Amino acid sequence: MLALLGATALVLVAGTPWVLPAAGGGINLNCSQNLEVNIIDDNVTLKWNRRDESVRNTTFSADYEKPETDNWIRLPGCQHVTGTECSFSLPVLNVFKEIKFRVRAEQGITSSWCEVISITPFAKAQIGPPGVHLEAEDTAIIVKLSSPGTKDSIIWALEGSSFLYSLVIWKNSSSVERRTKNVYPRDTIYELSPETTYCLKVKAEILVLRKVGVYSPVYCINTTVENKIPRPENLDVSVKNQRYVLKWDHAFANVTFRVQWLHAFAKRNPGSHLYQWKQITDCENITTTQCVFPQNLFLRGIYYLRVQASDGNNSSFWSEEKRFDIEIISIIHPPIINVKSTSDSLRIYMDAPQDSENEPVNQHVPLSYEIILWKNTSNAERKILENNRDFTIPHLQPLTVYCLKARAHLVDKKQNKSSIFSDAVCEKTKPGNSSKSWLIAGICLGLFALIAVVYFVKVLQKAITYVFFPSLKPSSNIDKVRTLLFFVNV
Amino acid sequence: MCTKPDMIPKCLWLIVLVGLCITGNLSLDCNLLNVHLRRVTLQNLRLLSSMSNSFPRECLKENKDFELPQEILSHTQTVKRGLREAFYEVSIQAFHIFSQYTFEPTWKLKHLNQIQMGLDKQLEYLEQCLQEEENENADVKEAAMKYSGAQGPQVHNLELRRYFNKMHNFLKEKKYSHCAWDIVQVEIRRCIYYFYQFTALLRRK
Repeated sequence: MLALLGATALVLVAGTPWVLPAAGGGINLNCSQNLEVNIIDDNVTLKWNRRDESVRNTTFSADYEKPETDNWIRLPGCQHVTGTECSFSLPVLNVFKEIKFRVRAEQGITSSWCEVISITPFAKAQIGPPGVHLEAEDTAIIVKLSSPGTKDSIIWALEGSSFLYSLVIWKNSSSVERRTKNVYPRDTIYELSPETTYCLKVKAEILVLRKVGVYSPVYCINTTVENKIPRPENLDVSVKNQRYVLKWDHAFANVTFRVQWLHAFAKRNPGSHLYQWKQITDCENITTTQCVFPQNLFLRGIYYLRVQASDGNNSSFWSEEKRFDIEIISIIHPPIINVKSTSDSLRIYMDAPQDSENEPVNQHVPLSYEIILWKNTSNAERKILENNRDFTIPHLQPLTVYCLKARAHLVDKKQNKSSIFSDAVCEKTKPGNSSKSWLIAGICLGLFALIAVVYFVKVLQKAITYVFFPSLKPSSNIDKVRTLLFFVNV
Repeated sequence: MCTKPDMIPKCLWLIVLVGLCITGNLSLDCNLLNVHLRRVTLQNLRLLSSMSNSFPRECLKENKDFELPQEILSHTQTVKRGLREAFYEVSIQAFHIFSQYTFEPTWKLKHLNQIQMGLDKQLEYLEQCLQEEENENADVKEAAMKYSGAQGPQVHNLELRRYFNKMHNFLKEKKYSHCAWDIVQVEIRRCIYYFYQFTALLRRK
């Protein structure tokens, strides 16, 4: 009996050290108070605090748990660290779901889990700097940007087309004149001076998430010596006789030109195979500063065009890329104004203009209208801006002749175009008191009607009384007849 | 794939809840751009429909339910801008998926180019409007955000990203097979269609 008790006691005493850590609650080690997670691109940093500074020989390890699983997985690079932070690369997981991190403090063989934090990686992540590659020309710098993070980024896997880049550029000599510009991942900054050092930095952002990234480090580059052959300038595209005409300016004679085109949407995704400038065969090795190509080459969509000059040995840099939107390309014609007048307003409808061949112009172009209104008798003009084709100009004077002319503007800011003013159209507003006089006439009519009704009712009443309620008194004639008959019978 | 009729309203609910409250006055440019946005979106839908007209029967058995999460139903603080932002996200994610398509035959590629052109135009309209609003209403927005809780738009976008993430994973899992692409195309078309319905809400104010 005693031996049994003794044995049990021995087992209990010996077993305690192993039992208690397994339960995991008893030992109060230097637990972290604040577990912080920082994510920049795919780099995650965990930070925690030691509670008790004096205790040495404490190491920390961190684990993570994937969503909807019960497995805690060890984080490489975060095992048995002596400091209070560790960094690692984001493991492969669904970054749009919550994951949990935990840190445990270890002293010898004893340890306890201290802190659990759960975050959604994508929501917490910050955008790092984009990769910048520059190429210098004489009056321009070609900028090639790569998205933040690595190519196989886990956190930005869906953001291939989401990043919008903002670039700041300045001359190295005077940092005061800074120019900020929104750029595509492959873009060019024009209007620079040759043989000058320019410095720039770029940041990426995701517009609707209001996530703005950090700026890249500053990159400086020297623009080259001015090229012998200048770039073609002032590209302009128009339509004529079912064909497109591209015109440009170039100072030199004896040069040949070639024209290339690109799908506009490829600019959003320059890494793809679609980002390839292609030749327009009708515009190769031409000597005039204009090129005509058939309309069926570009039936729909938006494109970019560029021109290069060459004298056989040397060639110029590519011209500024010209945006070419098929829908907008035709000349903006002035609208045809339809006016209807009331006593104090004019109802205006802008009809679709017709081009020289009397065919209705493409109606799908977003247009806004600028209307100039004046009274026929005075010169004072009033400017009205309208976005709709159907609108009313209120608060006008009655019985006045108003004249107006209008022109259409392209809403698309990237192509600044407007039509000429239409011919003036004049219209007289209707008499103002018309409503009042109608009211008076109405009242008079009402009165007359009332009198007529009363009279009619009276007549009706008489007739009804006569028919249905006749008076019993015979007429005087019958009295005479009766007297006569009486005398006859007797 | 959402062949079951009860799946269709799930995308619808996302849009309903994002577009329930219409408040605020936007610049007139945005109203005009909306008209053209609708037109361009309708064109894109027609393109997407014609591309998936010949849906092969053998692909039906690889159906996948890319269900839109129902949690979005709890967020009723929706502004016109929220709807526009969500539509922008959908358009960008759709564009991103299509830009990874590298298949022959060439007639399909040509069609795909047209869809990308269309989506690019759609994005242009949305970006112009969103950037203008960003500049104009910076103060109003900040106040509104404080009132409604800054979590609002973030959560919508997480839900949308989860939805598109499922499509990406599906494509990877099926090794970008023809069937997988066809199924994803139909899903994208369905989602854009419901946003198209709700751009009508954008017009009314």
